[in-house]
Amino acid sequence: MTSSQPEAEAPEQETAEAPHPLTEFANSVAEAVGGEATIAFDTIKVSVPAERWVQALTTARDEFGLVLFSFLSAIDWSNETAVGEPLEEPLEEEFIELLCTVSDVSEGKRVTFSTRLDHDNPEVYTLIDVYAGANWHEREAHEMFGIRFIGHPDLSHLYLPEGFLGNPLRKTFPLLAREVKPWPGKVDVEGMPSEEAEEGAEEAESEEEEA
Amino acid sequence: MTLDQDLVRHLSEVSVSVELQTPEMTLNIGPQHPSTHGVLRLVARVDGERAYDVRPVIGYMHRGYEKLAEVRNYPQITTIVNRIDWVAGYANEIPFITAAEKLMELEVPPRALWIRLILTEMARMASHLIFMASYPLELGAQTPLFFALRERERVLDLLEGVTGGRFHPNFNRIGGVKPAYGSGSKTRKLVQDLPKTFYEETRRAMDEVLHACDQLEDLVAGNEIILARTKGIGVLPPEVAVAYGVTGPNLRASGVPFDLRKVENYLPYDQFDFQVITTQNGDCWDRWWCRLQEIRESAKIVQQAIDSIPSGPIQAKVPKVIKVPKGETYVRAENPKGEMGYYLVSEGGQGPYRLKIRSASFSNISVLPWILEGVLVPDIIAIMGSLDFVLGDVDR
Repeated sequence: MTSSQPEAEAPEQETAEAPHPLTEFANSVAEAVGGEATIAFDTIKVSVPAERWVQALTTARDEFGLVLFSFLSAIDWSNETAVGEPLEEPLEEEFIELLCTVSDVSEGKRVTFSTRLDHDNPEVYTLIDVYAGANWHEREAHEMFGIRFIGHPDLSHLYLPEGFLGNPLRKTFPLLAREVKPWPGKVDVEGMPSEEAEEGAEEAESEEEEA
Repeated sequence: MTLDQDLVRHLSEVSVSVELQTPEMTLNIGPQHPSTHGVLRLVARVDGERAYDVRPVIGYMHRGYEKLAEVRNYPQITTIVNRIDWVAGYANEIPFITAAEKLMELEVPPRALWIRLILTEMARMASHLIFMASYPLELGAQTPLFFALRERERVLDLLEGVTGGRFHPNFNRIGGVKPAYGSGSKTRKLVQDLPKTFYEETRRAMDEVLHACDQLEDLVAGNEIILARTKGIGVLPPEVAVAYGVTGPNLRASGVPFDLRKVENYLPYDQFDFQVITTQNGDCWDRWWCRLQEIRESAKIVQQAIDSIPSGPIQAKVPKVIKVPKGETYVRAENPKGEMGYYLVSEGGQGPYRLKIRSASFSNISVLPWILEGVLVPDIIAIMGSLDFVLGDVDR
């Protein structure tokens, strides 16, 4: 974790043989909370079942010193998408993945806890009693994904106006500006029509440079 | 020089402990109030001179960047992350670009990393200097504003000289940085990665900034009114700070020596000699003091970086159309306001499947209801200002 990036990148190739320096730590966390640990790209992810969510985070805070609450958020794993690229391979079962990253305040060890929630009716117990900072993050996840946090004192809208319908970060939520007017978004790799001639010239130039 | 703290506390107690009944009222502060640095609204129950149940109302600046990122490709996203914490726009790009590079397993040339590091530290100085300007102003002292903004302009001029932008540089590319403003493919035989006079001017500017820090210290630290308004006010204990996810100078002022520049590897900070500034009291004064010292440390880092910058290319070889392989990572960086991180989920496309933006100010001000409970109304301004937040960083 302390080496500079180019050095960290180099041993990346050897990861097949040499385990990541944090493997032991990741496994001990996973064992203590009854979950499964994976390390990819310097990020430790521990998956736990939803019913052990609060318990897992409590253990992380009390036994592993992961006291700093970094963030809580979610991912909508959905086959249907209103905007953005759809998944390459459709999922067998759609779900909401809840993420919570906590960190220690000495060596910078951090663990991202993850749990699967039901896609249509996601609910889980609140983390407020473990990390006070979860309050606003859960309100955000509630309005953006429609996750119900059981025991949360006030799940009113944080960012969105009162009475706003829908959960904007769900993949099925359309981006109205895009519906009304097409915009050269990420699917367009060619330039705008007026720039095309110029673009072509530049491309030729840079290819020449590479050669 | 310093006031007798007990006497000050005693006097303030006397003024409110007089037996007078005042009806409780609800006080709305903002959303348009100069001390809120943007559009933040506070709803407080006020009993006499004390505020209770303070409820911040945010979202007036919400732009939905997490959703917008899902319909943009990677090079386009750097333009929107610039606008999160606009006081230090440059620093916001770093963790995002690093996350994408990490998933692509790209090796960034050292010179590009050095340039990133120098400019990030400049962004930090610019952000902290804004705080040096605005915070005394909120407490009624006008002069520090002119000293601090003059220095900030000096730093921003350098940043602009390299990137072409003062606030929204959009300067990082996946795999490196772009050539400096003014050069380009047309003059590729003479590509400059930094302006000609950059080293000299930076050296001079850093000396000026260090000098100005001394001036600011003389000006503010010797002012009894400022001391009386900030010492012992808004104390944030470390265990509360970490539970709320308060990071950056606000956390270090509470005595926790936690600096992501020392523990994460997003930029080669291990090559430089600098201190993690901490203070023990966690009050408004300490937060001011920490930031002042951090400007000094940043200036020292820049001076070292200028002397040790390696030569070589500034851009790794990347495909023309950037596709990031499937994977997930969280990369966080020490931004001027605290921990800024991106949880990037890629499904192999040209844009992210999901980009969670963890911004520092959002968590930093979520502690407001705790820290403002039962404080005097004028202290609300002093405490809010000392947390140094930017609404763009809160609302995203």
